[in-house]
Amino acid sequence: MRRAFLGEFEEIVLLVVAACPAEAYGVTIWEDLQQQTGRSITMSAVHATLYRLEEKGFLSSTMGGATAERGGRRKRFFTLTALGVRALNDVQQVRSRLWQAIPPGKFQLIGG
Amino acid sequence: MNRSPQPRNDRPPRFAHWLLTRLHPENTLEEVEGDLAELYDYWHHRAGRTQAILRYALNVLSVLPPFVRRRKQVKQQYEQPSSIHPVMIRNYLKIAFRNLQRNKGYTLINVAGLALSMTCGILIFTLVSHHLSYDNFHANADRMYRIVTEMHRDNIGYNHSVPSPLGKHFRDDYTFAEKVARIISADDQLITLRNGADIKKIKEEEGVAFTEPEFFDMFNFPLLEGDKKTALLEPNTAIMTERMAKKYFGDENPIGKTFWLNNRIVFRVTGILKDLPDNTDRKNEIFVSYPTLKAYDSWLANDIDGWGGIRDGVECYVQLRPGVSVAQVEGVMPAYVKKYRPTSKNVHHYKLQPLADIHFNAQYGGVMEKKNLWVLAIIGLFLLGTACVNFINLATAQALKRAKEVGVRKVLGGLKGQLFWQFISETGLITIVGVIVALGMAVLMLPVVNAFFHSQMTLNLFQNSRFVLFIVALGVAITFFAGSYPGLILAGFKPVVALKGKLSQQHIGGFNTRRTLIIAQFAISQVLIIGMLVIMYQMRYAKQADLGFDRAAIVMVPMGDDSTHTKMNTLRNELLRIKGVEKVSICYAAPASTNSWGNFVKVDNEETNFRTSIKSADDQYLSTFGLELAAGKNLFPADSAREFLVNETFLRKLNIKSPEAALGKLISANGGTMVAPIVGVVKDFHDASFHQEISPIILTTNKSDYSDYAIKLNVAQAKTTLAAIEKAWLEQHPDQLFAYQFVDESIAKFYETEDRILQLVEFFSLIAIFIGCLGLYGLMSFMAAQKTKEIGIRKVLGSSVSQILWIFGKEFSRLIGLAFLIAAPIAWWAMTNWLQGFQFHVQMEAWIFLAAIGSTLLIAALTIAYQATRAASVNPVKSLRSE
Repeated sequence: MRRAFLGEFEEIVLLVVAACPAEAYGVTIWEDLQQQTGRSITMSAVHATLYRLEEKGFLSSTMGGATAERGGRRKRFFTLTALGVRALNDVQQVRSRLWQAIPPGKFQLIGG
Repeated sequence: MNRSPQPRNDRPPRFAHWLLTRLHPENTLEEVEGDLAELYDYWHHRAGRTQAILRYALNVLSVLPPFVRRRKQVKQQYEQPSSIHPVMIRNYLKIAFRNLQRNKGYTLINVAGLALSMTCGILIFTLVSHHLSYDNFHANADRMYRIVTEMHRDNIGYNHSVPSPLGKHFRDDYTFAEKVARIISADDQLITLRNGADIKKIKEEEGVAFTEPEFFDMFNFPLLEGDKKTALLEPNTAIMTERMAKKYFGDENPIGKTFWLNNRIVFRVTGILKDLPDNTDRKNEIFVSYPTLKAYDSWLANDIDGWGGIRDGVECYVQLRPGVSVAQVEGVMPAYVKKYRPTSKNVHHYKLQPLADIHFNAQYGGVMEKKNLWVLAIIGLFLLGTACVNFINLATAQALKRAKEVGVRKVLGGLKGQLFWQFISETGLITIVGVIVALGMAVLMLPVVNAFFHSQMTLNLFQNSRFVLFIVALGVAITFFAGSYPGLILAGFKPVVALKGKLSQQHIGGFNTRRTLIIAQFAISQVLIIGMLVIMYQMRYAKQADLGFDRAAIVMVPMGDDSTHTKMNTLRNELLRIKGVEKVSICYAAPASTNSWGNFVKVDNEETNFRTSIKSADDQYLSTFGLELAAGKNLFPADSAREFLVNETFLRKLNIKSPEAALGKLISANGGTMVAPIVGVVKDFHDASFHQEISPIILTTNKSDYSDYAIKLNVAQAKTTLAAIEKAWLEQHPDQLFAYQFVDESIAKFYETEDRILQLVEFFSLIAIFIGCLGLYGLMSFMAAQKTKEIGIRKVLGSSVSQILWIFGKEFSRLIGLAFLIAAPIAWWAMTNWLQGFQFHVQMEAWIFLAAIGSTLLIAALTIAYQATRAASVNPVKSLRSE
C-alpha cells in the first residue's frame, strides 16, 4: 500500500486527536491546537483538515447525542483509525531514522 | 459567567447564521453550526460581544463555498429503488386500479370526458390526414400542374378550366412540358345499355370524361386490363373502373361491351381501371377517348372556335420538365390570348396551379380549404385541452381525500418522484380506458362523418402506422398533460401537514383557478350557442323570406336531350291538360338558380360595364312565378328575342330613375345576335342566394335557350300529378330519364354549406356544453365537500334547504354570468363578420343572447341540481358529528 502523504498541519491535527484524553470534536481539537502550537488557527481550517483526514481514512467520526449547550446541535466526535495509527507510526519512524542518521556532534558544530 | 444557555441577545448574529445554514454543505452543517455556536459563546465570554460577532462572521465566511467543497458522501445511508423499477410500476398500477374502483363515479366522469374529446380528436385527425393525402400518390406530383384561368374584369374571377384547344397548342408549341393531358368531364349524363329492344337507362351523376391517353401516364391510376397507351386512342372507346364495370355489366367480362352516352354516341370498353382511391379529386369513373369529343360537342372539339370561351369541366394538366419554372411557362401564356382571342380585352390570364393545391384552393373549386382543416384541428386540440382541464379539476378536488395516504407513504419513505409516478399511472389507466372507448366510438361515428363530408374514410389500426403513432402519442400526451399537475400537487404535500389533516384548498390550487377554467369553458360554449342561433336564424330567413317570386309547389322538369320545338309545344299542351297542373312556363331557369348566363349587353348602342344575366322564358313566366311588373307590359309570345323585360337593378345600374323612362330603349345582347326594345320592367326578385346582390337581369323569349318546364302544381294532389307529368314526358322522350326538382328545394340547396356549418356548430356546441357541464359537476362536488360543515351549521342555525341551494346557485350563476360577459362580445363580433358574407341578412338581436345565456343556465342548473340538493338536504347531525 502506498503510504499516504501527511502534511504538517494534518500530522499535528492527527496527533492532537490521538493525544486527546476525552472524545475529540471540532472545538476541543481547535483549542488544543492553539495551545500546543501557539498559532492562531481558524475554525474552518480545522474542519477542513478533519474532513480531509476522514476521507483519507486516518480518522473516523460518529455523531454524538444532542447537547443542551450548543442549541441542541450534535457534535461530531473523531477517533483515530488503525490506518491513522500506522500513518503516525510511519512518520515517527522516518523521523527517528533521520534523527539517528545525524552524525553525532554535528549540531554542536553548527552551534544550535 | 457560566457557559449554560445564553440570554436571547447573546445568540450569534442572525444574518451570518442564516447565511451558514443556506450555503454550507448539508452533510456537515450540523456540527459546524454547533462548533461555531460554541466558539461564539467562548469568544463572547472572553472578548465581549463585538469581538464574538466579528469572529463568528469571519468564521462563517471561511466555511462557505468555495472555501469548503460539497463532499461526496462516503456511502449512501439508504439505497432508494428507482421510481420506475418494474416492481414499483406494478405497485403503481395496483394502487391506481384500486383507487379507480373505489371512486367509480369519479372514474366514470373522467373516462367519459376524456373519451368524448378523444373521439373527436381521432375523427378530426382522420379527417385532416385524409384530406392532406389527396392526390399525393402520383409520381412527379411536384412537377404536375393544372392550367387555370384568371379572368380580369372589373373584379378578378377564377376558373379551373381553360379554353379546350389550349392544351394541344401548348404541347405542340413549347417543350416546357414532358406531358400534357386534356380531360373534359361531362357530369350528370344519361348512359344506356341496349340489348335488342331492351333499354336500360342509368343516370350517371359523375358522368364521363373525354380523356387524352397521356393522362394515365401522369396520374397513377393503373389499368387492370387493356393497355393504357392504346386503350383511349381510337374514337368511341372507353375505359372504366372495376366498380363501374360491375355496375353496368355485372360479372360478365366487360371488355368489348358497348354502352351509349345520351342515346347518341356508342362506346366500346377497351380497358378496366383499378378502382380509384378515396383520396383523389377525380370523381368520374368512366373515361372515354378524346377524339370522340367531336361527336359530343363539336364546339369544344374545334381548335379555333374553342378559344371563344371557357366551358366548365375542361381541364388541362401538364407535367413540366425538371428545372422548368412556373414563371417561365406563365410568361408565354399571354401570347395565346393575343393570337387566338384578338377581339377580347385581354380578360384571360392563364396560370399554373400545382397539383397539391387543387384539393385546397376554393377559388378553383377545391373541396376543402386548408384553413378549415386547421380550424378543425384547433377545435380538436381545444376539446382535448378542456377534457384535460376538467380532469385536473376533478383530480385536485379529490386530492384532499388522499392527503392522508400521501402522508403515510411519505413517512414510510416514499419519495416525491415515486408518488408522482403513482398518480401518473392512475391517469394513464384512465387515459387507456378512454382511448379504447374513444376508438370504439370513432369507429361507430365514422359512417356519420363520412356521410357528412361525402368521403369514404376508413379507420384501420393495423395498416396505418401513422394512425397508431397518433393514438399512442395522444395517450401519452393526455396522460402527462392531465396527470402532471395533480401528481405534482399531491406528491408535494408535506407529510406532517397532510397527516394532521390541516390541508386546505389553498394547498391544492385555489378555487379561483378552477373558476377561471369553468368560465373559459362556458364562454366557449356560449360563443358556439350564439353562433348556432345566429346561423339558424339567418338560414330560416334565407329559406323563408320573400324572394320576390312564388316558389311553393313549382316543379322544374328539364327538357329531354332530344327535345325539338314541336315536341316542346306538344308536351306543354299535354302538361296543361293534366289535372292538378295550374300553369306551365318554358324557360331557361327558375328566377333563382345556380344556372345563369351572363352577358355584357349594349343599351341604345352604349356598352355596359356590368354583367347582365339573360333569362330566356316564355310569356307565362311572370304569371307562373308570380313576378310583378313595375312598368310596361309582359312579353309577347315569340320564338326569338323580340322584346325584353328588365329588372329594377338593371335600371339602377344604368342610372335610369323611373321604370317608364326605360321603356323603348334598345338592348343588344349576345354579341348583337339578340336586339330588341325594352317593353316592361319587372320588380326585383332574388336571382341567387342571399350571399349575392340581385343581378341586373333581362328576360326575353329566346326559344333556343329554353331548358326547363316550370310547372305550378295544385299541392293537394302533387303526387298523382307528378306521376302524370312523368308519363306525359316519357311519351315525348321514351329513351330519356325523367327528373324533376321543386324550386324551394333547389333554393334550399344554395345554403348547403351553411347547413353543414350549422350542423358542425350544433355538434361542437353540444360537446362543448357536455364537457363544460362535466367541469361544473366537478367544481360543485368539490364545493359540496368543502362546505359540508358550513351547511351543517347553517342548517342548525335555521337555514332552509332552498337558502342553501342558493349558495350553490349563486356560485354557478356568477360563473356563467361572467362567461357570458366574455362570450357575448366575441360572438357578436364573429357572427357580425359571418353575416357580412350575406348581402341580405338578419340583424343580431338581443333575444339571441338571452336565449344563449338562458339555455346555458338551465343546463348548468340541471347539472348541479343533484349535487346541490344532496349537499343541502344532508342531516346536520351527520355532517357535524365527526370532528
